[in-house]
Amino acid sequence: MALSRLKKFCIPENSHQVDDCVAEYGDNALILAGGTFIRGLEVRGLLSEVEALIDVHKLGMDGLVSGVGNVRIGAMVTFAALEQLAELHSAAWLAAVRDALACPPLQIRNMATVGGCLAASCPFYDLPTAFLALDGSVTVSGAGAQREIGLADLFVSLFENSLEPGELITELTLPRPPGRSASAFIKLEGTANDLAIVNVAVSISVDAAGVCEEARVVLGGGVGDRVVRSATAETVLKGQQLTHEVIEHAAAAVGQDIEPMADHRATAAYRLAMAGVFTKRALNQALSRLN
Amino acid sequence: MTNMNVVGKRVLRQDAFEKVVGGKGFPVNVRLPGMLHGKLLRSPYPHARIVRMDTARAEQMPGVKAVITPADVPQIPYNPIFFMPVTSAGLVRDMLILSDTVRFAGQPVAAIAAISAAIAEQALQMIEVDYEELPAVFDPDEATRDGAPEIHAGVKNNISDTPSFAIGDIEAGFREADHIFEGTYETPRVHTCYMEPRVCVADTDTNGHITIYSSIQHLFGLRERMAYALGLSVSQVKVVQPPYIGGGFGSKLDMVYAEPLAALLSARTRRPVRIKHTRYEDFITNARHPMKVYLKTGIRKDGTFCARYARTQCDTSAYASQGPVVIMVHAHYGLMLGYRSPHLKWEGKVVLTNNIPGGAFRGYGAPQACFAVESQIDEICEELGFDPIEFRLKNTPRRGDPHPFNPEWKLDTYALDECLARGAERIGWSQRARAGSSSSTKKRGIGMAAHPLWVSGCVGFPDIYEHSGAIIKLNVDGTANLSSATMDIGSGQNTVLCQIAAEELGLADGAVLMSPGSTDTLPFDAPTHASRGTYSSGNAVKVAAAAAKKRLLEVAAVIMEANADDLEVCNGVITVKGSPARSMSVADVVKRAESPYMVIGEQGPAPTVLEEKGTIMGLSSLAPSTNPSPAVAEFVEVEVDTETGQVKVLRAVYAHDLGRVINPAAAEGQVEGGLQQGIGFALMENMLFDPESGACLTSDFLDYKMPTAVEMPRHIESIFIESNEPSGPFGAKSLAEACLIVPAPAIANAIYNATGARIRSLPITPEKILKALGKL
Repeated sequence: MALSRLKKFCIPENSHQVDDCVAEYGDNALILAGGTFIRGLEVRGLLSEVEALIDVHKLGMDGLVSGVGNVRIGAMVTFAALEQLAELHSAAWLAAVRDALACPPLQIRNMATVGGCLAASCPFYDLPTAFLALDGSVTVSGAGAQREIGLADLFVSLFENSLEPGELITELTLPRPPGRSASAFIKLEGTANDLAIVNVAVSISVDAAGVCEEARVVLGGGVGDRVVRSATAETVLKGQQLTHEVIEHAAAAVGQDIEPMADHRATAAYRLAMAGVFTKRALNQALSRLN
Repeated sequence: MTNMNVVGKRVLRQDAFEKVVGGKGFPVNVRLPGMLHGKLLRSPYPHARIVRMDTARAEQMPGVKAVITPADVPQIPYNPIFFMPVTSAGLVRDMLILSDTVRFAGQPVAAIAAISAAIAEQALQMIEVDYEELPAVFDPDEATRDGAPEIHAGVKNNISDTPSFAIGDIEAGFREADHIFEGTYETPRVHTCYMEPRVCVADTDTNGHITIYSSIQHLFGLRERMAYALGLSVSQVKVVQPPYIGGGFGSKLDMVYAEPLAALLSARTRRPVRIKHTRYEDFITNARHPMKVYLKTGIRKDGTFCARYARTQCDTSAYASQGPVVIMVHAHYGLMLGYRSPHLKWEGKVVLTNNIPGGAFRGYGAPQACFAVESQIDEICEELGFDPIEFRLKNTPRRGDPHPFNPEWKLDTYALDECLARGAERIGWSQRARAGSSSSTKKRGIGMAAHPLWVSGCVGFPDIYEHSGAIIKLNVDGTANLSSATMDIGSGQNTVLCQIAAEELGLADGAVLMSPGSTDTLPFDAPTHASRGTYSSGNAVKVAAAAAKKRLLEVAAVIMEANADDLEVCNGVITVKGSPARSMSVADVVKRAESPYMVIGEQGPAPTVLEEKGTIMGLSSLAPSTNPSPAVAEFVEVEVDTETGQVKVLRAVYAHDLGRVINPAAAEGQVEGGLQQGIGFALMENMLFDPESGACLTSDFLDYKMPTAVEMPRHIESIFIESNEPSGPFGAKSLAEACLIVPAPAIANAIYNATGARIRSLPITPEKILKALGKL
């Protein structure tokens, strides 16, 4: 019985009610932001300790703002709602998000939320890889205080984030990159209804001469216990003209920063090889979007 | 045969709307008053003996109404498969409803009925079981070695059966050969993945008679096996026919533990008991038998076969079940009959292991065989430079030939040549590039496979049921009700049968409706399997409709003062041939037949005629006279990403000589569904198990990958080559299973054409392709 100890399903209308429920059930309370992750854990019998579910859909947190220096996405914005952001469909720097949003099936897109997919700290998801490549950070509130956490610090380990009990992600911020920038996301999957075996998101910014000023290369899927940035690949790219050779070199370098796993879906050797292939393809895709 | 009103039309399915709004007719939606919910406790060990079982705590739990253990269950060994007499000499009866010995991880050891499924499931954890673990073996090669764990007492080296046959002198045949090819081809354990779970509701009355609702492909098969395993007579078991079930594909051709256990729990509690499998339980209930086929073929210079030898190892798993039957169909209709050779020999081995039981799956042994045969033919043609289409025609039967399975049958409507020619033209076969000649990263290739001979039912197969029946009853509004024990397992069978009845009766589209019954009220029907529904059940329906029509015209003749032979009926109107002004509606004729003898009208009482009185109906129960084989060919184009090993199927063209298309939309659905299952079998599906515990690792759709709509090709073409099969209803023979037999080898051959990589084991995963290309 997957949720056999569930005693309370609360739907708070303000943050105090969240605090009350957390105070009562402590670690055995779980925030429900969309439900797709919780459903996945439940059917595998991983929620046997959970006593309270806190459904936060009445707390707002669903703003979607194309600001001057950034794009801000409320935690309760569903993937389907995020697709409505006009800029997403034209801006090259946001293209990785567009790519990643196309991956989950419609049922997931209608239910899953941006805040929920980040709090899950699941490296097999698509959007967190893209958001980290865009240098995203989250605003977190709890116990009357607010703080900002970069995504690299939010993801601690598999299914483990750095939020304190009672803290909620309220918003994701993606800063506008300088100069000419573009991004891309690619996923290796068994079928269109699959978690990532490997996924890669890249974001690049170049100066007027085409020299790479900024590069972020992020890998997800079974390549570590969380989404991984490849500093080695980024170093290869920065300060260089993004030629075929430089991209090949960077793609080959990601292997130094990941620890591919073996499971029944893929061997470690295959994941390692595909991390390189998909990094190359993502970089080429981003490059093609620069102009 | 050209002026048909209903047959050949894209008639809308009668259940289409009901299904999209929730499908209340699915057995999973059956609820009875006072119903309890059952759950099964399953063994965590793949091989163990139960030393002690204590159910006291579970029985004391509030809401629990009954707990059943092996001690409470008749210990009558049975075989679960539906389509043969349960006492058949060809069946191994080695299963018990509950046993002290478990032979696969997940085998039930106890059952609980409670007022809710949640309570029943919680109570399972209160049952204490001490097991003595026994050594287990999962690999069929290891299972047959000396010293391997003994799974069933007395079955030496776990070899359940070693069937074989030979024609001619195989050694002499190979001596004649100019070229000899050999290879070993392996196929994995895959699940049908029907949408509706195995689910049943059993209700026992005060006389101990059982009524059961279940999601199955054969009403009478369940009745026979329930009665046998429970020690009852068949009239004590009534199986209620659901209007439709949510898919079967062969998986629902055997009794599952839940059915007799629900009946026993119901008998104990005197309340209806429902047991519904979880998806995990469905996955471990049965699956297609993994097979390893060694194939050796001798060829003369002219490209004809002179010797064909094959050896098959079939992992039938923890119980013999379907294994000894499936391997025979595999050998005859899968491996050997489709291609001529003067010398042939086959040897089979059915092996017991501690894996989950093997079951039936669309194609019944032929998908495994076709992958071996059609892959090797492609290898031969590639090596010796034969055109694969001409090569096949050189070695296959021709129209009018005697049937290789039974020479008394003739291949009157056989058209492999046309399947090959038309399929080749549509795919652009003549433009096919040489294997592996593309230099780009993403390489395209075209491949094909044929299955020269398949079945329309089971006439001629030893000990397999093959007869059908139907009841047709006309109503006063000019409609008719058709009842048949055929199960519509999602293919549109009921609609097709109603079309056949309407055409024969001369009624309009939609005027015949299917009315479910039960084993108490319906004539026997063999299961919905073996591609038999349209052909065999269709024949019975047509005969019943003809009987009803004969009576209809006799009654009309009395009323119209005409000779019945001079009457015809079309679109619900009866007319005197040649005198269209003399007509009467079917409704009016039935009204008169059903009316009281003396009808009081405005003019006062008016007597009618006694000869016209009575319900107009027709009955039938019969087996078909023969078993016409269809031929099929499939052509596919694939794109292989040689950096990632991923394969996309871009196009598929499927050609099949099915006699007559009764409903083109339903027929296309069969082709497309078969292709989807075939792509899964070819490229991704594979049930995996923990090598130590035997626990299934792929027991939901996150871990068990099957193609979604996105993986399907955008272009699928169904070519139906029509003829008039004299033994079939309106000329029809079969379609269903072949649609899944051919895709895997066609895809494998296309991958070879694209890349030059020959993969002889399914599924052809990206990793296998990269390894074959030397890139991993």
